[in-house]
Parts: sequence; structure tokens; C-alpha cells
Amino acid sequence: MDIDKRKRELVKEFSPALENYSLKTKIWIGCLVAIILVGFYAFLVQLINGHIVTGMRDNVVWGIYIINFIFFVGISYSGAFISGILHFFKTPWKNSVSRIVELITVLSLIIGPIFILLCIGRLDRLHYLFLYPRIQSPITWDIIAIMTDLVGCFIYLYLTFIPDFAILRDNKELKVAKWQKKAYRILALNYQDTTEQRERLHKITRTMSVMIIVLAIVAYTVLAWIFSLTLQPGWNSTIFAPYFIIAGLYSGVGVIIISMYAIRKYFHLERYIRKVHFIAAGIVLLVMSLLFGYFTFSEYFARWFSHKENDVHLLDTLFNRYFWEFIFANYIGVLVPIVILFFKKFRTIKSITFAAIIAVLGLWLNRFLIVVPTLETPYLPIQDTRAEFVNYSATWVEYSLSLTGIAAFCLLFTLLIKFVPIIPMSGIIDYERDQKKYNKRQPKKAVK
Amino acid sequence: MTRCIMKNNKNEKSSTDRRKFLKLGLLSSVTAVAGTSLISNLTSEETSTSKEKIRLLTPDGKMVEVDAENVNKYPEAHITPSESRKGIPDRKFVMVIDLAKCKNARKCVEGCQKAHDLDYNEEFMKVQLIQDNPEASPYWLPKPCFHCDEPPCVTVCPTGATFKRDDNIVLVDNDRCIGCKFCVTSCPYSARQFNWGHKDKFKDTSQPYSPETSVPAAEGTVMKCDFCPDMLRQGKLPHCAQSCPMGVIYFGDKNEDIVTNGDETVRFSELIKDRGGYRHLEHLGTKPNVYYLPAVNRQFPLERGFNVDEDIIERYKDVPYVQQLKKDGKI
Amino acid sequence: MKSNLMKHTFYASFIAILLFSNLGFAQQEEQKEEFDVRKYKTVYKFNSFKQSDNSRLLEVSFIVQNKKDRKDKIPVFEAEIYFYNVLNDEELLLGTAFTSKEGIAKLTLPSSQNYELDEDGFINLTARFIGSKGLKSAKKSLAVKDLHLELNLKEIDSVKTVIVKAYTLTLDSLQTKVPLEEADITIFVKGMLSNMPIKEGSIEDGVFEFEFPTNIPGDGDGDVTVIANIEDHDEFGNVAQEKFINWGSHKITPVKKVKNTLWSESAPLWMYIVLSILLLGVWANYIYTIFNLFKIKKEGKSINLATEE
Ligand code: SF4
Ligand code: SF4
Ligand code: SF4
Repeated sequence: MDIDKRKRELVKEFSPALENYSLKTKIWIGCLVAIILVGFYAFLVQLINGHIVTGMRDNVVWGIYIINFIFFVGISYSGAFISGILHFFKTPWKNSVSRIVELITVLSLIIGPIFILLCIGRLDRLHYLFLYPRIQSPITWDIIAIMTDLVGCFIYLYLTFIPDFAILRDNKELKVAKWQKKAYRILALNYQDTTEQRERLHKITRTMSVMIIVLAIVAYTVLAWIFSLTLQPGWNSTIFAPYFIIAGLYSGVGVIIISMYAIRKYFHLERYIRKVHFIAAGIVLLVMSLLFGYFTFSEYFARWFSHKENDVHLLDTLFNRYFWEFIFANYIGVLVPIVILFFKKFRTIKSITFAAIIAVLGLWLNRFLIVVPTLETPYLPIQDTRAEFVNYSATWVEYSLSLTGIAAFCLLFTLLIKFVPIIPMSGIIDYERDQKKYNKRQPKKAVK
Repeated sequence: MTRCIMKNNKNEKSSTDRRKFLKLGLLSSVTAVAGTSLISNLTSEETSTSKEKIRLLTPDGKMVEVDAENVNKYPEAHITPSESRKGIPDRKFVMVIDLAKCKNARKCVEGCQKAHDLDYNEEFMKVQLIQDNPEASPYWLPKPCFHCDEPPCVTVCPTGATFKRDDNIVLVDNDRCIGCKFCVTSCPYSARQFNWGHKDKFKDTSQPYSPETSVPAAEGTVMKCDFCPDMLRQGKLPHCAQSCPMGVIYFGDKNEDIVTNGDETVRFSELIKDRGGYRHLEHLGTKPNVYYLPAVNRQFPLERGFNVDEDIIERYKDVPYVQQLKKDGKI
Repeated sequence: MKSNLMKHTFYASFIAILLFSNLGFAQQEEQKEEFDVRKYKTVYKFNSFKQSDNSRLLEVSFIVQNKKDRKDKIPVFEAEIYFYNVLNDEELLLGTAFTSKEGIAKLTLPSSQNYELDEDGFINLTARFIGSKGLKSAKKSLAVKDLHLELNLKEIDSVKTVIVKAYTLTLDSLQTKVPLEEADITIFVKGMLSNMPIKEGSIEDGVFEFEFPTNIPGDGDGDVTVIANIEDHDEFGNVAQEKFINWGSHKITPVKKVKNTLWSESAPLWMYIVLSILLLGVWANYIYTIFNLFKIKKEGKSINLATEE
């Protein structure tokens, strides 16, 4: 059968990535594990000595943990959003990126909440959240939203994996460990790719994709509310929810572009992840950067124009102590990607990736500027407080744990793409099948 | 809670004090024996803790220092965390702070610190130097927790560890607090503190924890001014109001319409009406229960307030007025 | 034991002398450490309070004060104070009390207590601390006359009126009332933390009368406790009388049910509803998806079986 043959071909093409760990991979994994071990040590230090080892103090009670939390969760939600759209609208070029997006979604949704745990003073009492819940608290909403979203994303990711597991299960030539084969067999759920099964799977994947989009919006809105429902001058803003969603998408697209670049380089997937994909993603990034710039401008402009005393105070801090951070986050981080992506001739794979990196870094700093300076300029000026409690500067523990978050993300990503092909094989087959149906009269184009 | 507001049981109380004292072995019927046991106790006492001491004179003319705790406690009034959620019936507590009389003597801060076993650098009551506008003359503003009627800190707490009682008081139950710090970021008055690291005093088991006393504090949880309900239950003023030598802090029950600073007892409503009492940052809609009387007809020049330790003055270094004073070489 | 104590002092003074002669700077430190009761003078006060139930409270405040640094005060703790009723040279022990950590000893004598009166009708009272090796004895006496204070709260022509009457009784067996000629008096309303003065005035010919203010809220039920107090009178000491009446201007209706708000224990109803609907919708979809997955599995199984057969 034609399809079976094609399946075998595809497995053969992707099997090297699944079958062996090259030296490079091993070194890479080793480095990541080392970073994680240091982070684990840092965590122990924090656990034993208490939060005194962080740079957080009575005024700035939330530091880069919370920033990482918003950042990772933002990436996740934007991933869910994008992947939902790709699936729902059957975007033609979705195959090359959809799995990358889905993996990013789930992994960052696992890493993000870990940071909020690091920020909690009494981890031993975490279950109190369920023992004595108060549903008025935005934190409760956030916990419910994150958990629901996590489950949803897992289900969704799994749905997209099933056909590939089936293909891998059915392939006898694949040289992988026994447990891995067994795992494929169990996880493939007797999926035989019959029309009936396929249609059922497509149907539920489609509803889940809508669900995921909705959840992403709801959950990130709730996250934005943690800030905007308080009275703090820099946070109490009605546009925070959409602003956060745009910001999340901005960083999410950025991270997707960066991973596309890395994966393309690493697995030599130039045939699948092509310049068109980068340009398409680049254009999405351009739109997002415009929107993000617009929201950022609206937010700060309104504060500057109406110049309420506390807002002025906040802006003073931003423009003095955090001058360079502010310039990088809200000027360079927005304008450089816009300039690169706006002109056609600048749009090369490398430059688009560069723009993405700038965007992601700028966005992280933007989050920093939302959290820390606001806490440093409360309604009542900080006085009668020991000097070391006034300003925030992160300690090695916090930096190390932040790096650990990134390392854990990369490690899990690496391990997962050792387990399933980074390009969904079933997607390619589906795509080819559809092409055949619709293009009977037209000459067959190269498919991907 | 009838047992709480104690009437005329002074005799009873002094007998419990006596019992406590006896338990310590500080006193027995034969004075000579008492003398030696005092000495031995003193030395062992000193090595073990560096707690707050009070000085007493024994009948045979020896001065002893004993842990304030050992004579200060009222075990019969211990209120458990769940009892403390109810509040004292039919009361609505308010505080009135007379800014015209404040000279940053910081006795309220210290009194509160002593009573709540706080370190030198931990204050439930902070004294701020506020200048409303460039023309206005600055004034000292003692700032406890405002025990808001619509407290944002309570709204955001995910576990109900901080709660609002019927008697106006907002308390923190540090047995329940998970340390998410959301309440700290939500309080617009920066009234909350967090316990960042371990401290020996957290292990103090000499008295059971009660949200009404906030002692002992616990690592990884928040704390703040509690309006001293343990004192109120005994019919006494909060520590800060008691310790202020100027009588700046009035405290009382709004239902009764009576507030007192210890020397003077007045109608709350009249005080607010006659002296133009106001609440700080009213526009935030938190409805505080701490009122201020404006700093008009001051009793002390502002500069008296700089009559404090160097490191305390340093804490005001960002205030423009202080910077000006420093430039002029006045402090 | 005693000798042991002596030894201590001996060694201490020996060392002190050594240090004094050798090191100038150590001297200061030493001085700080050393507590010398002789540097302190005794402040010993004695007062009598006649309370509303006609009992009499005798109170001694016993502290020592540094002769140089007047702020340096130390209460005397657990000193036994003897209270006597004195007539001529005869001392009748009324009771004893120990000083508290504030240095205060209190003795309450019931209203039924019989006192020995002198010919002018004064009760002579003495409070004595016997003294010890370290602390000198102390003694204070006072003489008070027994004053009767009557507090009447009446609505006269629907005007709430406070009437205070004060009188003494003659010593003879008739016990006729002799109105008090003149004394300053203060009327208070009892508060939770302290009593609020509402009127100051003086009793003339045994009576003091005034209108009770209409806007005193009183306690939860509208009850007010009115206190009449004569303070520190030369002849009568402190005399107080109190009474409670339902004259409060406003009564608080107790809040039975707490409204559900953002800051109360339970949330507004709509929050529960919205949250439940949202969660139900999402989880129903999850369950539907998982249910379909099982179906796929089952279908696959039947195909497997079919192919095997
Ligand atoms: S002042 Fe702050 S901590 Fe106190 S009740 Fe109000 S919001 Fe809460
Ligand atoms: S830190 Fe404690 S009291 Fe504050 S919101 Fe969190 S759980 Fe509640
Ligand atoms: S009311 Fe009590 S807890 Fe609050 S500042 Fe005064 S002494 Fe401290």
C-alpha cells in the first residue's frame, strides 16, 4: 500500500534522531544537567535558609521568580493559542511547526508554575490552597486556571501524538530500546488509522484546539489580573489583560522562531523548516511587535499624560534608576524587531531569528519593569525602613534557579524529541492524502 | 467571650503573677533563700536568652531582672486561632492619631516591638515624614495597619489566613498563611512585613501562638500590626498608645463613641468633627479605621523628630525636606 | 545560706576594689553593673477608695526612684504590706497584700467592715512595710471620713437627669444624714478602655444635679453606666458611685448574617456560579475527549482481533 510505504520512508528519515544519541547531544544534555544540579543546590539553600537568601524584601516581595513565572506561562499560553489556530484552520504549513509549538506549550506550562512555588514562603502548607480555598482570591483563580490548562494541554498534545505513536509502533525496523517500543504500543491505543478512527480523532482534536485557545485567553487574563486587580499605581490598569495576552504572544512567537532555528540547524531539517516558515512566523512577530508596542505606549502614555502623583513617581523611577532597562525593553525590544521584519530585504532566516531573540529578551525585561519598579514605588513612600530593604537586586540563588528553568526546558525538549519525531509524520501523510484528493487534475507539487 | 473582658479581677491577676514567679523559683517564703535562688536564676537566665527584661526590686533590696514574658503573660486569656476569627462582640475599634502632637519620639514603635517580640528593624508601626505639597510644612505620621473596612489584603488571600473580624480588626493567622505575599503587594499602605529567614525567636514555646498577639512569629509568613486585641480584652490600651509620652494615639470603640489616649478620654465623633479628622488616602476606597487629626497648631517643631539615632535618620534620606536640611547642615 | 550570700558580697567587693584601684575605665563599667539601693529613695504612696458597692479599696504604691536620675524607677515586687486601722495607740490589722510587678498592693475591705472611728468621725488607716536588711521600712497613714454618695438617674419631665447626693452620718445612734457642704465632683460614662468625663462640677449642700447629654450611645443594648467620683478629697479620700441605665442614644442592631463580599469568608454568589459553569464546561469537554479516546481504543481492538482471525 502506498501509505504504508510512505510511512516507512518517513520513519526511516526521522529515525536517526530517535535512535542514537550523538556525542554533541550527550555533551548538551550533560551541560543542562549540570546547570540543573546547581539549581537544585540553590533550591536546597533556599529551602534550608528561607527566602532570606533571595533578594526579595519587605517592599519588593516579588522578584524574578514571579517574572519568570509570567514569562514562561506567557510563552505557554501563546503556544497554545497558536497551535490551536494552526489546527483549527488547517493551516497549510502547520506540519513543520505544530509539534514544536505544542512541545513549547506543554513544557513551559510545566516549568512556569514551578517558579511560583519558589516564591511561596511555606511550601509545606501548599495543600492549604485546597483545604481552605477562598475563591475571591485571584491566586485561587490562577491555580484553577493553570491546572485546568495543564490538563487540557496534555490531552491535546497527546491527541496529536497518537497517530505518530501508531506509525512508530508498526514499524519493525526502528532500532530503539525495548521500553520505548512498549511505550509506543501502549500509548498508541490500538490506533489503526482506519477512516473511522481518524475522523473521530480529528473531531476531538478540533474541539480540543478550540478549548485550548479559550483556555489560553482565560488563563492569561487571570494571570494579568493578579496584578491589575490590586491598587498599586503601576498595576491597576484596565488594559492589563489584553496587554499581557499580546505580550505573551509576542514572546511566544519569539521563542518558537528561536527553537525553529535551533532545531533546523541541529537536525538538518532544512527541507521541512524552510525560509517561508520563518517569514510567515516573522510576519506574525511583526504584527505582535506592533501590537505590543501599541499597548506599551498606551499604557505608559496614559500614565504620563494624566500624571497622577503616584504614576509620576513610578515613571521617574523607570526613567532614572531603570533607564537602560526601560530603553531596552520598550524601545529596542519593540523597534528593532519592527525594523528588521518590516523591510522585505532584511527578512533572512538569521535576521528573523535575531529579531526574535531581541523580542524575547526585551519582553522579559518589560515584565521585570512591570513587577519590580512598581513594588519599589508604593503609595506611601518607603521610609523608616532599613536601607537594605528598599531596593531589589536578585541574588545568585535566584539567577541560578532562573537558569535552571531554562535548562530544564531545553532538557525536556531534547528528551521529548528523542521520543517522538519533531515533524509530525501523520500530519505529512494527512496532508499528502488531502492534496491527492483535491489536486487530481493538477500536477503534483513537492509536498512537505 | 465573657471571660475576656476582665472586671475587677486585679487580685486574681496578681495572684497568677505570683504563681508564675513561684514557678520560676524566684521567690519563696524565706527571704534569704530567695536571695540565692535569685542570683543563680539570674545567671542561667542571662546565658539562655537575650529577651526583653524588666527590673524589679525584691523586698530585701536586691534588684533582679526577669524576662518580661514571665511576669507579663496572661495564660487565662489565650485565644486560639479559630477563636480569634470571631472578634470581640459589639465593638468597632478605631484609632485616632493626633499629628499635631507627634515628635517622632518613636516610643510607640518601641513599645510595639517589645510587646510583639520584634527585632530592632521590624516595625508594625512606622513613622513617616510626609510633606503634602512643596509649600506645606512636613509632619511626622505614625502609620500602623489601618484595619480597613474593605481590606484589599483580605480579598486577595487565597487561604483566608488574613481575615476581617466584626470588631473591625484585620488579623493574620500565621498557622494558616502559605507565604504567597499577595497580601503584601495588595496593601496600598505597605503595612505588612514578611519573615524572610529563620530566627530563634520563632521557636519560642513559652506561650502558645495566637493571632491576637502575633507571637511567636513564623518563618515564611506575613505579620503586621494587630491592634493588640489581647490588650483590649483586658480593657487596656494597645501598647503603642500606652507608650506614647505625648498622648498622640487615641484608641477606642466607635460604637461607644469613646476614645482615649490614657490621659484623656473624649468623644470620638466630636474629636473628629472638631479637629478635622481624616483618613489617609481616602480615595482608595479601603475605608481605614485609623483616623488622623491634621498637624495644625503643632506642639513641637518638626526638628525635634531628628533627635533619634543616626541610623534612624538615615531612613529618611530620600525625603526632599531631609535632603535640604542636610544641605543646610542642620542635621 | 546567709553566709554564702555574705561570701558573694565579700568577693564582689574585693574584686571591685581591685578594679577600682587599677583600671580607670573598668570603674565605670563596674558602677553600671553594681546596683546600690542606697542611691535610690523610696516613693511610698497610700490611698483609699470608697467603691460603688460601699467596699473600700486600700492601695499602696511602692517604688524606688534614683536620687540623681529621676526617670530611673524600679517597682518593689512582692513586698508584704500590712494595713491597720489605728485608734489612739492601738493598731488593728485589717489585712495584708503583696505588691505587684508595678509595685502596687491592694486590699479590698467589704462594706460590712467595721472601723474604729476617732472622736471626729475619721477612720485612721496605716499601711506599713516592715522593712528588711536591704530595704528600709516604710509607713504611711491617712484619715478619711465615711462619705455616702447616692446616685440617682431619673427622667424628670422626660428630661434625663442625673442627681448626686452626698452626706455623712452622725456618730450617734440616730445616724442622721448630714449633707456634704462642698466638694468637687466629676461624672463619667463608663467606657471599655477608660471612663469618659461628661460633667465636672461641685456638690453644694449635698446635691449636684444636671441634665444627662442626649447623644451618648452606650453599649450594644444602649445601656450606659454613669459614675460619680469625688477625687482626692481632704476629708473623704476617693469616693465613687456608679449605676447603669438604658439611656443610650442608639442601639446597635447586631449583625446576624455577614454579607458575602470580596473580603468576607465566603464569596458573592455569582462568583461561585460563574466559576462552576466555566469549570464544568471545560472538564466536560475533557471527559468527552477521553471517552472518545476509549472508543478509538476499542475500535482498534476489534480491528486487531479481526485481522488476527
Ligand atoms: S492597611 Fe493594609 S494590611 Fe491593613 S487592613 Fe488595610 S490593606 Fe490590609
Ligand atoms: S501571604 Fe499569607 S496572609 Fe498573605 S495572602 Fe498569602 S496566604 Fe494570605
Ligand atoms: S496597635 Fe498594637 S500592633 Fe498595632 S502598632 Fe500599636 S502596639 Fe503595634
